[in-house]
Amino acid sequence: MKPQAADKADVLQGTLVLLVLRTLDALGPLHGYGIARRIEQISKDLLQLNQGTLYPALLRLEQEGWITSKWGASENNRKAKFYSISAGGRKQLARETKDWERMRSTIDRFLGSVPETLAE
Amino acid sequence: MSFPKRFAARLRGHLWKSRRDRELEEELRFHLDMQFEDNLRLGMSAEEAAYEAMRRFGGIESVKEQHREHRSFASIESLLRDIHYGVRALRNNPAFATVAIVTLALGIGVNATVFTVAKAALFAGFPMVRNNDRILYLSTGRGCCLSYPDFEDWRAQARSFSGMAVVHGTHGVITGNGGAGETYDATEVSAETFRLIGSRPILGRDFARSDEFPDAPPVVILTHSYWATRFAKDPEIIGRTIRMNGVPTTVIGIMPEGFSFPQKQDLWVPLIPTPEVRERDHRDLWFAFGRLAPGATVPGARAEMAGIGRRLGIEYPRTNRGRNLIPAVQTFNQFFFFGNENTIYWSMWGAVFFVLLIACANLANLMLARAIGRSREVSLRIALGASRWRVVRQLLIESFILSGFGGVLGWFIARSGAQAWAVADRGPGMQSWRILDYSLDYRVLAYVTAISIGTALVFGLAPARMLWKLDINARLKDGGRGASGGTRGKRLSGLLVIGEVAAAMVLLAGAGVMVRSFLNVYDANLGVKTANVLTQSLSLSKKSYPLPESRISFYDKVSARLRAVPGVASLALADTIPTRNCSTFPFELSGAPSASGQGRASVAAIIISPNYFRTMEAAVLAGRDFTDFDTASGPPVVIVNERFAGRYWPRQNPLGNRFRLFDGKTPGDWLTVVGVASNIVQNDGTGQEVTPVAYLSFRQKPPAAIEVLARSSLQPENLSIAFRHEILTLDPELPPMRSVSLDERLQVNYWSRGLYGVLLAILAAIGLLLASVGLYAVMAHSVTRRTQEIGIRMAIGATARDVLKIVFEQGMVPLGIGLATGLAASFAVNPVLKSFLVRVSPFDPIAFAVSSFALCFAAMLGCLTPARRAMRVDPVVALRHD
Repeated sequence: MKPQAADKADVLQGTLVLLVLRTLDALGPLHGYGIARRIEQISKDLLQLNQGTLYPALLRLEQEGWITSKWGASENNRKAKFYSISAGGRKQLARETKDWERMRSTIDRFLGSVPETLAE
Repeated sequence: MSFPKRFAARLRGHLWKSRRDRELEEELRFHLDMQFEDNLRLGMSAEEAAYEAMRRFGGIESVKEQHREHRSFASIESLLRDIHYGVRALRNNPAFATVAIVTLALGIGVNATVFTVAKAALFAGFPMVRNNDRILYLSTGRGCCLSYPDFEDWRAQARSFSGMAVVHGTHGVITGNGGAGETYDATEVSAETFRLIGSRPILGRDFARSDEFPDAPPVVILTHSYWATRFAKDPEIIGRTIRMNGVPTTVIGIMPEGFSFPQKQDLWVPLIPTPEVRERDHRDLWFAFGRLAPGATVPGARAEMAGIGRRLGIEYPRTNRGRNLIPAVQTFNQFFFFGNENTIYWSMWGAVFFVLLIACANLANLMLARAIGRSREVSLRIALGASRWRVVRQLLIESFILSGFGGVLGWFIARSGAQAWAVADRGPGMQSWRILDYSLDYRVLAYVTAISIGTALVFGLAPARMLWKLDINARLKDGGRGASGGTRGKRLSGLLVIGEVAAAMVLLAGAGVMVRSFLNVYDANLGVKTANVLTQSLSLSKKSYPLPESRISFYDKVSARLRAVPGVASLALADTIPTRNCSTFPFELSGAPSASGQGRASVAAIIISPNYFRTMEAAVLAGRDFTDFDTASGPPVVIVNERFAGRYWPRQNPLGNRFRLFDGKTPGDWLTVVGVASNIVQNDGTGQEVTPVAYLSFRQKPPAAIEVLARSSLQPENLSIAFRHEILTLDPELPPMRSVSLDERLQVNYWSRGLYGVLLAILAAIGLLLASVGLYAVMAHSVTRRTQEIGIRMAIGATARDVLKIVFEQGMVPLGIGLATGLAASFAVNPVLKSFLVRVSPFDPIAFAVSSFALCFAAMLGCLTPARRAMRVDPVVALRHD
């Protein structure tokens, strides 16, 4: 494993976990494409997500026991894998949210202002 | 590429890909399709839409790769990596690995050995029987007392059995071409016996129903061992005739090697229901056995047989009066094993668990010490992001590797152990039906696997728990110097040592009382000198010797001839040998108020020839021995033993007194006491209890079966060939029974006790060894940990003696507590053995004292080496010790 690649993936994954968990928490069971679309919509394409990276992240979340997956039928009646958040995932979401908020307020204090875009 | 080739390549690719891969592919295709359709909806051309979808997704292959890596990382690959790491860690520390594996192998090995032995007695049945647990043994008594018509009615009426057969032991003589006869042991069996138990001859044919007809030509099936020893495995033997008891008999089959049912024997003959056997009150057969029909249960069979038995009782009131009508329907264990034998098997099984517990405690301690030693490395790993589960898993994997090796080695130990036991169990005079299945079958395999996993969990969990709770900050700060090496760990390891010592104490105390009990039986004073006496059993048939006079005359001739054999110093006859059971009769004293019927006291009666007491090196203390003139025409006389005289004529001269024995309700002649003999133990296989015995003259009451007892100046076995020759010269038709020394015949009294005693002693010795090794390991570890402290103490003036004291004091605390706990536990556990103990209390102070002493001694040895190492600590080096 190349160290730089691993470091980069880690950082990205950290954020991605929060985004995926929050999405699933808010919207209920979704397939991978749905999650990707939702993240892009909310972030108004500010976050350029390489959609492919979503899938290893989903696998990891599942291994951690934070989400579960089930095969089902999509809106256009195709077979798709649906992910939903578990009780452990909600706890993790709460933890990550708190961490993120602490981080944000720290950064905010450094920068001395609250950017509007993130107030939502 | 041709179509078939292409197809094959595709199929291969498809099959090679795992299900998870295919699922992922499907999921990604779905994603791309959705994106593609959305793009179309936004007005892109198909080409643009596809390109855009791919662009936004990124590298598909790299996603798959990452996915696969993650997947395998979480499962097999990381497990393999951990196992590899575990093996390397163990190889880096060969001393630890060796001690651990040997300890486990011993613990698991003896456990599996005893399981194999106990399984044979408790759960299995005769070897080489198909579905042993479906075979039930039926009888109205033990080894006797079944009549053929009753059996036929059982077989005809019982629906719970798919088949039933009956067996009866017998013996006889096979005569070769002019050579001397050779005795054989055989079982008469129903024709369907082998089919019922699911075995077939390897050569020739099985018995058929037609072989049971009274006028059928006589046939015989040989055991493999008899065929091998007597006929050198000649395959041509099938169809040939051998002379059995003078009757030409055709050999029709050879059974497989190692097969014998239901006793140790040479051959089988069909049980032929002759008119005599068909009498309903001819209760001579041994027992019946049946195979449960599909779906039938043991309780169901029992209930059905009880009904049948009751019906037969009503149907045939004459022959069944006063009899136990309800057949006992029993499993192998219930039928062939008595209560206290089962106790002993369970006790031994319990004992090996103590051994295993000690082994586990040892291992736990070693692992704990290792875990403490590695806690800094572990802390580092956790700090760097390894999950605690991963770390604990690593430790558990090491435990499993160790117990896996231990289990495999233990299997081999069990194999040799079971073989050794089978040899020891074949000891003299063990009941002939003790054919036990000591094979290491699937049950043993399952058991070994289970206890290997169990031990790994038991000894792996304690250190794992410690690592789980490890305070990594503290560990990283204290620099791994180990002064604070986990108070928790230290306390736990102390507790483990206490447990080991206690378990060893329980084993020792149990073995101690068993050995004492064995010695009591072995050393019992029987009132005779048993060495250098040959016993030769003789049995006269009613047909050849119908009259008392003919029997007396034969006995006289035999005695005269055998007495003349060189080496015979003294010779006598008796109808039983010391300690064996003999008939007891109610009796009444002349002049004493005659108690009627049930109230009469009983006395054992033995029929002997003159010279009996001299031959046995007992003594006639008063009056006279029998003479050749104590015949049927003379006055009936009797010799009583001291116990008899003392009980019924205390402080009187017993000589001249008279009493008579009752045969049922009919009184015999009045017998006049002519002598008082010293006490000889009868009716007590343990040789402990002297009971009143009356000796009768064989000339006045000649029995059909008798023992010739010959005291010899030679090894008694040397006489047996000459004896056989003389007996066959007198009567070639006589089935000569084996001649065996008295010592050998008495071995049966203590053989199994010795066996169990020795086994428990071996287990206790292993327990003791493991416990002292355990103590050693803990002490050695503690000395290593305290090297610096000891160095400081020495630097400020502690002498070697002070250091010694420090180490020993530390060792003595767990020893003391363990000893006390073990003693208390022994008081609770030892009563289990009570039914098996002869003349020794389950709390025998000598056994307890010796055991405690042995334990203390072993513990001292365990402490000695670490203490000496501590004494040699060089303060200068120790203070720099890191």
